[in-house]
Amino acid sequence: MIEILVYGAVISAIYAMLAVGFTLIFGVARILNLAHGAFYALGAYTVYALTANLHVPLLVAAAIAVVGVGLFGVAVERVLVRPLRRSQLAVLMITLSVGLMVEQVLLLTFGSEARNVPSMVEGAYEILGADISAQRLLALAASIVILAGLWLFMQHTRLGSAILAISQDAEAARYMGIPSDRIYSIVMGISAGIAAAAGVLVAPFQTVIPSMGLLPLVKAFSIVIVGGLGSIPGSILGALLLGYTETLIAFEVSIEWSQIVSVAAVLLTLVLRPAGLLGKRAAF
Amino acid sequence: MPKISKIDLAAASIVFAVLAAIPLFGVTTYTIGVLTVCVCFAIWAASWDFMSGLTGRENFGHSLFIGIGGYTAGFLNVEFGFDPWWSLPAAALTAGVSAILIGFPTLRLRGPYFALAMLSASTVMQYLVIIFSQVTGGQDGLNGIFPILDSQRDYYWLTLFFLLVTLMVLKALALSPWGTILRAIRGDEATCQAAGINVTFYKIAALVISAVFAGLGGALYAHYQLQVGPDLFAVILSINIIIMVYVGGMGSIYGAVGGALLLNILTESLRAFSEYRLWIYTLLLMLILFFLPNGLIAPAWTRIRDRLARPREKKRQAIA
Repeated sequence: MIEILVYGAVISAIYAMLAVGFTLIFGVARILNLAHGAFYALGAYTVYALTANLHVPLLVAAAIAVVGVGLFGVAVERVLVRPLRRSQLAVLMITLSVGLMVEQVLLLTFGSEARNVPSMVEGAYEILGADISAQRLLALAASIVILAGLWLFMQHTRLGSAILAISQDAEAARYMGIPSDRIYSIVMGISAGIAAAAGVLVAPFQTVIPSMGLLPLVKAFSIVIVGGLGSIPGSILGALLLGYTETLIAFEVSIEWSQIVSVAAVLLTLVLRPAGLLGKRAAF
Repeated sequence: MPKISKIDLAAASIVFAVLAAIPLFGVTTYTIGVLTVCVCFAIWAASWDFMSGLTGRENFGHSLFIGIGGYTAGFLNVEFGFDPWWSLPAAALTAGVSAILIGFPTLRLRGPYFALAMLSASTVMQYLVIIFSQVTGGQDGLNGIFPILDSQRDYYWLTLFFLLVTLMVLKALALSPWGTILRAIRGDEATCQAAGINVTFYKIAALVISAVFAGLGGALYAHYQLQVGPDLFAVILSINIIIMVYVGGMGSIYGAVGGALLLNILTESLRAFSEYRLWIYTLLLMLILFFLPNGLIAPAWTRIRDRLARPREKKRQAIA
């Protein structure tokens, strides 16, 4: 029981990080980013490469991974997405090809076998009779800190207000002198950085393989649909719902069945309430 | 959209004649096998283009219908021992029915959301196939499917025949008032609705037609491979098909066929670099998105056709 509670919280927190970034870049720049899963995988692999091959200390490697992937996200937005912004489908296709490209590069460099990333903290804690590894608790704590930090940044800084303004009405925000193109790059960087942080945090207890980004992408998309497109509280709520349902089913039924929950949730949401739980506009 | 001209027909006949004649020149069964796979991909690409190229709703889960078609063939054949010929109509039927079921909830969504909802649907099917491994064979899939025709060469001609049928039906529909309505929906859905067009009906009908041919292609593929596995539902298969259509040029249908043939032949000739295959595809897609937004094959053919047609038009003008 306690295991379900804690494991569910950890998974929900990781999902929330992925979904918040995904919904942020969509809400602000209207970019449906299919490379989001690739950023997550790239974060995990950067840490692996830095620690296993170059023997960089783990925390430094984690910081480099988050910042590096964030910058990569900015570059993708600048060079590849911006020239194609006129067409939403072209944006979809270009982010898809970025995702595939990253996966292929990882496959060619590291091979298809699973890689091990050392834990940042060793040991396990006993909470009310359940053994929980310290790494999972760290992942939970770190993602809460990151999400809280993001919320504070959005609510209390000039840049945060500018981002919110653009997401509410891009045209009006431009008339007020907010440089929308630069904001899009920054948001892409933040979104990629958070995805990479999620990848870094789960790397020690997840299988690190080149295609590891696909499933989180599907999950992030599902959560965002369930919670309401473009709504950050909605995606956190959706992440909690999905994370706990999946853990419950993984414990009570089987792991395979838990993978279907997210997609079933999407179909249900689309049929019953297309706007999502906290979304304002319907997804069609 | 212009009607099919005599030059188009002539070019199509030449291409099909060449494709049909290749096995007569003493090529190996291996080459015939490659060509059969090429033709299956051509059917899938053309059926994808009919729905997504015309209505502008990109379907990222086309493999859903391919897999359903393939598994229908597998079940009928392996589990129930039906004659292999039954696979083809049955696969078309199940794929069509599944398109109705999946189309109702998903087609209300705008472009990108429809794309991702379909992607999710094909992923969930892939997982279901693996979960119910007692029925579906799990990762190993269904083995021991019977061939429809004993000779590989004859079977290749059969698939080629079905490609021809697919193309003729889809092209005829695309050129009919139906196709005009589908293209109008791509242009502006709200206006279509205001004009009294039942948009939902047309979108679902287009998806069903697209699924029917994809399922047919899936069954043809299953009877060539003599095996079906969960990879038939894989997202990467849908994405490969989409890249083929992008290379060919969206919305023209014949371009999709050309793109499928071109990329499959390219893959085959780059066999030594097979691990770089997807990498090359992706790079090609990026280049096309930036430099040739209308694709490669359809615009190239339009240009060739204009050049061929010009002398005759001049003559006509001179007579007039």
